[in-house]
Amino acid sequence: MNTLRLYVKSIGMLLRSHLQYPSSFIMQTLAQLVMEGGEMMVVILLVDRFDNLKHWSGGNLYFFFGLMAVSFYLTEFFGRGITGDFPSMVRTGRLDTFLVRPRGVLTQVFCGGTDPRRITCIAVGVAALIMGSILSGISWNIFKVLILIESIAMSCLLILGLFMIEAIFSIFSVKSVELVNAITYGGRSACQYPIDVYPLPLRALFTVVAPFALTMHVPASWILDKPLYGWPLWTAFVTPLSGAVVFTVMTCFFHLALRHYRSTGS
Amino acid sequence: MSYIEVDNLKKDFIVKKKREKGKLLREKDTVNALKGVSFSVDKGELVGYIGPNGAGKSTTVKILSGILTPDSGEVQVGGLIPWKQRKVHVKNIGVVFGQRSQLWWDVPIIDSYNLLKEIYKIPQGDYEARLKELMGALQLEELMRTPLRLLSLGQRMRAELCGSLLHRPELLFLDEPTIGLDAVSKIALRDFLKWENKQYGTTVMLTTHDMEDIAALCSRVMVLGHGQKLFDGKLPDLLERFDTVRNVQVKFDTENPDIKLPEGVEYKRSEDGIILSYEPAKLPTAQLLSILQESGNISELTLQPENTDRLIAAMYKELDL
Repeated sequence: MNTLRLYVKSIGMLLRSHLQYPSSFIMQTLAQLVMEGGEMMVVILLVDRFDNLKHWSGGNLYFFFGLMAVSFYLTEFFGRGITGDFPSMVRTGRLDTFLVRPRGVLTQVFCGGTDPRRITCIAVGVAALIMGSILSGISWNIFKVLILIESIAMSCLLILGLFMIEAIFSIFSVKSVELVNAITYGGRSACQYPIDVYPLPLRALFTVVAPFALTMHVPASWILDKPLYGWPLWTAFVTPLSGAVVFTVMTCFFHLALRHYRSTGS
Repeated sequence: MSYIEVDNLKKDFIVKKKREKGKLLREKDTVNALKGVSFSVDKGELVGYIGPNGAGKSTTVKILSGILTPDSGEVQVGGLIPWKQRKVHVKNIGVVFGQRSQLWWDVPIIDSYNLLKEIYKIPQGDYEARLKELMGALQLEELMRTPLRLLSLGQRMRAELCGSLLHRPELLFLDEPTIGLDAVSKIALRDFLKWENKQYGTTVMLTTHDMEDIAALCSRVMVLGHGQKLFDGKLPDLLERFDTVRNVQVKFDTENPDIKLPEGVEYKRSEDGIILSYEPAKLPTAQLLSILQESGNISELTLQPENTDRLIAAMYKELDL
């Protein structure tokens, strides 16, 4: 409880400090809108040209796109400490100041960063979800709502877990970030389309290594009444939990890595 | 048992060298940052920790404050092992790094303090009383609503100190606290530290390059070099050990007096006369003066004590640091 309170207070303070530079904040937020709007445009053009992709209709594609956008940018909004700021926390020695305070390091990392500019990206994602839902004619019920919430929450944990790989590398001051980006940003770009449009190696990558297919595509397909690979209902509830698994495993590795933290000179 | 016990502390760092031409892998180099340092500090002591850059001062402080895990050796602070019982341990310590901020850059400093209150779970009443006291002692009342980024260096250091003492730590680590401060700020800071130490018996460990900090504050000084402890004792004792050279500035009536100097005396000509450096242990001052008197009519003569910075430089040189 206390940790949550600390998080809310910290993020509140960071938001206020972002707003210290209002014009810069507005410009960047609009830039984000243009960027994510452009991504959305690609899907719209694709749907306009081809009507459908394999057995997925245009509305289905918007739904998948929206699910990824909402999950990914929610994560960046609230988990900026991990998804963006962590390497610089190591470099500038902010991690040292976390270590001399009586709170969990990961808690403080989360409390140390937010990216409110992503609000427009999240809005685009929500719009895509609504559009996809209407065009696909989804008949909503309590199960589907629960599955959608679970899917988004677990996808956020998965994305955090994947970004933590980068964080762990930066504790050892290793700069192999590009490799990690292939599954984080690469995962975002690839998995905004349903997994079964891809050839086997990519399907394997995003099912086993970075299981976006399990946290997003299995539940989303079920919500769209087109179960992925014809899997039964319970899979839509169970497979997203893989996001929590990835996050937990990476949290353990993160704490293990901290024991080898070397700090920077002063 | 003392408050801080450090026994045979060792820490190595592996540094990767630049890749040589024609080799696939970079060679690695091991740097022994600490090669078995031992000391103990009692509660309420004010200890200065000096040594040239790269001697291992910061590494020691980082191990004592729970940031780094040592390779071997034993450390206890108030009965706790810093890196193993980190969360309990850091409740009792305050840390100020001279060159990196612990407060939030863009918000008024009072907001930073309010967040620190949450982080350390300080009860509201204690917090208000302590904040009021520190604001008074550090003259921060008028700066409370100013964002950190708009403060001058001296003001910022005072703000940092306030932040690190809100939870009433038993032990305060200061890493070069007076770096870049003007004379007034330095003196104010030293006065505050003396007051805090006397008022609450706070143990203070201070790393610095400014010998005046040590002279003004620390009853005890430790010298570290090449990862080893080289001296541990009072500052005057340290100076005595290395304060071997004296300077005499002398002016004669005649332009080019003929001075017959014994060996071991350095002779330097300057605009204000002649500067002679000698070691009183080898050549008694009285003997030097009589030699000078025989050489001509002296019009001016000053004896200069060695300044502390030069002494420390000489000491580092002698100890081959």
